[in-house]
Amino acid sequence: MSVHTTGAAVDGRHYDAIVVGSGWAGSLVARHLGRKNWRVLVLEAGNGGTDNWVDYQDSVRTFSSAVAKVPNSAYRPNRAAPSPDVLDLSPGGPGNPDGYRATGHFLQTGPLPYGTDYLRALGGAGMHWLGAVPRMFPEDFSTRTAYHYGLDWPLGAADLEQHLRDAEHLLGTAGESREQHRLGTVPADHEYPMEQIPPSYQDKVFHKKLDTRTVVDKVAGNREYRLQVYGLPQARNSTPNAAYPTADGSTYKPRGAVGVPNFGERCVGNASCVPVCPVQAKSSPLRLQQDFTGTVEIATRCVVSRVLPGRGNTVRGVEFREYGDPATPASRAYRAEADVVVLAAHAIENAVLLLASHMANSSGNVGKHLMDHPTLLAWAETPPEMPVGPYRGPGHTSGLECFRTAEGRRQRAPFRVEIGNWGWGWATGAPMSSVSGMLGLGGDSDGEVNPDGRYGPALRSALGSHLNRQVQLQIAVEQHADPANRVTIDPSRHRDAMGNPRPIIHYDLAKHVRDGMYAARLAALEIFKLLGATDRSSYGAQADGSYPLGHYRHSPDGVLEELDLVYHGAGHGAGTHVMGAERATSVVDTYQRTHDHPNLFAVGCGSMPSVGTSNPTLTMAALALRSAERIHRDLAELHQPVTVAGPRAARTQEVAQ
Amino acid sequence: MTDHEAAAHSAGPAPLDRFVRLCVPLTGFTAYELRSTGMAQLYFDTAGREIGHRSLDAFLGVWEEAHQGGLGPSRLPALERELARALIYLWYTGAFPRIAPAAHAELRRDRPNQEFVASPESYPEGLVWRAFGGHPAGAKPPGFGTWGDEPPVLPTEAELAARIAAEDAGPGGAVAYDAGSYGSAGESGGSTPAHLLPGPRSSRAVSPSAVPPASSHPVRETSPEAGE
Repeated sequence: MSVHTTGAAVDGRHYDAIVVGSGWAGSLVARHLGRKNWRVLVLEAGNGGTDNWVDYQDSVRTFSSAVAKVPNSAYRPNRAAPSPDVLDLSPGGPGNPDGYRATGHFLQTGPLPYGTDYLRALGGAGMHWLGAVPRMFPEDFSTRTAYHYGLDWPLGAADLEQHLRDAEHLLGTAGESREQHRLGTVPADHEYPMEQIPPSYQDKVFHKKLDTRTVVDKVAGNREYRLQVYGLPQARNSTPNAAYPTADGSTYKPRGAVGVPNFGERCVGNASCVPVCPVQAKSSPLRLQQDFTGTVEIATRCVVSRVLPGRGNTVRGVEFREYGDPATPASRAYRAEADVVVLAAHAIENAVLLLASHMANSSGNVGKHLMDHPTLLAWAETPPEMPVGPYRGPGHTSGLECFRTAEGRRQRAPFRVEIGNWGWGWATGAPMSSVSGMLGLGGDSDGEVNPDGRYGPALRSALGSHLNRQVQLQIAVEQHADPANRVTIDPSRHRDAMGNPRPIIHYDLAKHVRDGMYAARLAALEIFKLLGATDRSSYGAQADGSYPLGHYRHSPDGVLEELDLVYHGAGHGAGTHVMGAERATSVVDTYQRTHDHPNLFAVGCGSMPSVGTSNPTLTMAALALRSAERIHRDLAELHQPVTVAGPRAARTQEVAQ
Repeated sequence: MTDHEAAAHSAGPAPLDRFVRLCVPLTGFTAYELRSTGMAQLYFDTAGREIGHRSLDAFLGVWEEAHQGGLGPSRLPALERELARALIYLWYTGAFPRIAPAAHAELRRDRPNQEFVASPESYPEGLVWRAFGGHPAGAKPPGFGTWGDEPPVLPTEAELAARIAAEDAGPGGAVAYDAGSYGSAGESGGSTPAHLLPGPRSSRAVSPSAVPPASSHPVRETSPEAGE
């Protein structure tokens, strides 16, 4: 059980470690250090209160009440610690095809919008994530060497193997190891704790229609790709895998809801993983926080404003502001000290904190290399005799993996084709917008009442048939590290209500990425053709002359026809304090320790030099566990007075007793 | 609203009964199905508040007359047609929609023309989920692995029409279902016409009822009031 405290109560106190942020990375680090008996303070900027059953239900109700059921729609807005929201962006309007307008937490200055959100609340974006945990391919760690783009990692997949397994255990993952081994993402002896989440009915239709068929990629030199549908590893409770090895030889026991025993131990198909799993069968950081020992304290509503410098190049602790009411920014400033400070506040917030503290930036790379998985949505209608039954089960349970690896990457960014289980929801707002569309509701572009529509039995029957035939592909394209995509701050001009600097985002898609998205669009058309489905995707000018947010036109070589394309943010912010062997070109080392400050760590997706085509949480979790072990060793060394001399060590020793 | 109107609006079960009865042919769901959502009173109150109790009452009168005359909603005048759509949207999604600006103006509403969810309880009661044999996202979960099952066989339009006609049978017998004036595509209904499908949401901030159709409605030779 975690111990809750307040900012006022911890003011001036000294800890072994301070962890900034209570999402996946912060919770993994704090959990590990607590179990090693270190005294840890976790400072969470956002609200707490979801870590008991009754208050968790408030999130479910908030979701039910929301008109736009976006990733942050289950969580209350918070002025004191604002979160970016996908609702903050709107298109540029007629005559401004690639333009956009941005409000909210981010100030955006780039040619294209950064359409990704995160959540500042207990558990962080780990509350609204989908729960997809595919591993990165070994080749994803060295795209610079192998394919001449992006940045290489200073370590490889093999170096992370044990930590990946530990992360898969702690997150509680379900998957089919044999299949993933064939794909090339896990070793032969690998097992997931739980059996694969059953595929959706739609997945089976795709298997039947697509497996062994081929698609030619005109962008990648007319290379032929053989389609094969693969299951998706997920951090979602399923049937325990009897073959999974546990320490004491017992069968793995799924972990369910926080605060209710024996509940949520299997997914029951609420089909709302993003933004909230009502039964908590989807894993969240709240689970890890239940494991916190008594030496770990959490203080919510405490916004860290800067890291405090210590002697030499060390850091001493953090300064933070505690607020009582999320609706008002009234707050008090406090300080806490620690031997080790771990920033785990999300890639973008970590960068803001480092920049605001004037720390860890001797390379000039803090904030640079901002990444995401720009995602192309393609949607289609299957024939009446071939319903796929969407809006059931987890958000996606299978995908097409063939475009993710190998030589094609040299010519265009690789991409992963997710087979969406929730109809046209993301692209069009269905099934609600399908109701208004079928009714002819809302008027024409002049605001006049529309003539056509279906009503009564005709409506119910047409909607029933049509909604069961909605197919949506969500194609996540790799975005490589590009120094021009970056987070900066301008504290003299742009601060949030509490006075902390707002992230200023400059974002664009490089040609390699645009080429990948172009290839993804052509692949989607081929897939729809093989399915016998009618493509309904639309990326160009709409009836009122405006273009969808994230629009651009592109031809990879000037010879292929120029196409309208639209990308969406995937919520996979990464790369703002990249890891590297050279301190001149990177911010952290392989343990996510900042090169400049031996006791300051920046953990999370911000450390990743590349993201491949995999949802990044699992890799981030493995990195966090690797860091936690390193921090434990550092603290152990610090607390051996024989080997560590000097006044600082002596003082630390006194406090520890 | 005057006190008298408010009293008339909320006087006992009769107005609510009438509201539900007239929503049966609009939605294609039986009175029992509508009542079993538990939302009838909330929707009656919400609609009255949104479009004005007097306008709602006038609409119900016009619709009742058309329905008794064997005509479907597509034969209604423009304003009433849009109000029929708004009520159906409320039943199908639990949210009151953004309506055509022309209708909004004609009603002289004092409320913003913006979609909102009537209550956290109404969202999972939306009929749209039942229309395709599904369940609302985030509620009424059907159980582990059920998403791998074949989607259910749904009742045909004729079966649905027969079901509600049986319920409707008054002293003068059941009102015959005039499929054309309900916008039916008849037997040819395979691929849905683009103007009845949603287009892309230009941003996530656009509410579902404000998403424009995938293409403009075809221009009509004659006004729909005059028949198709």
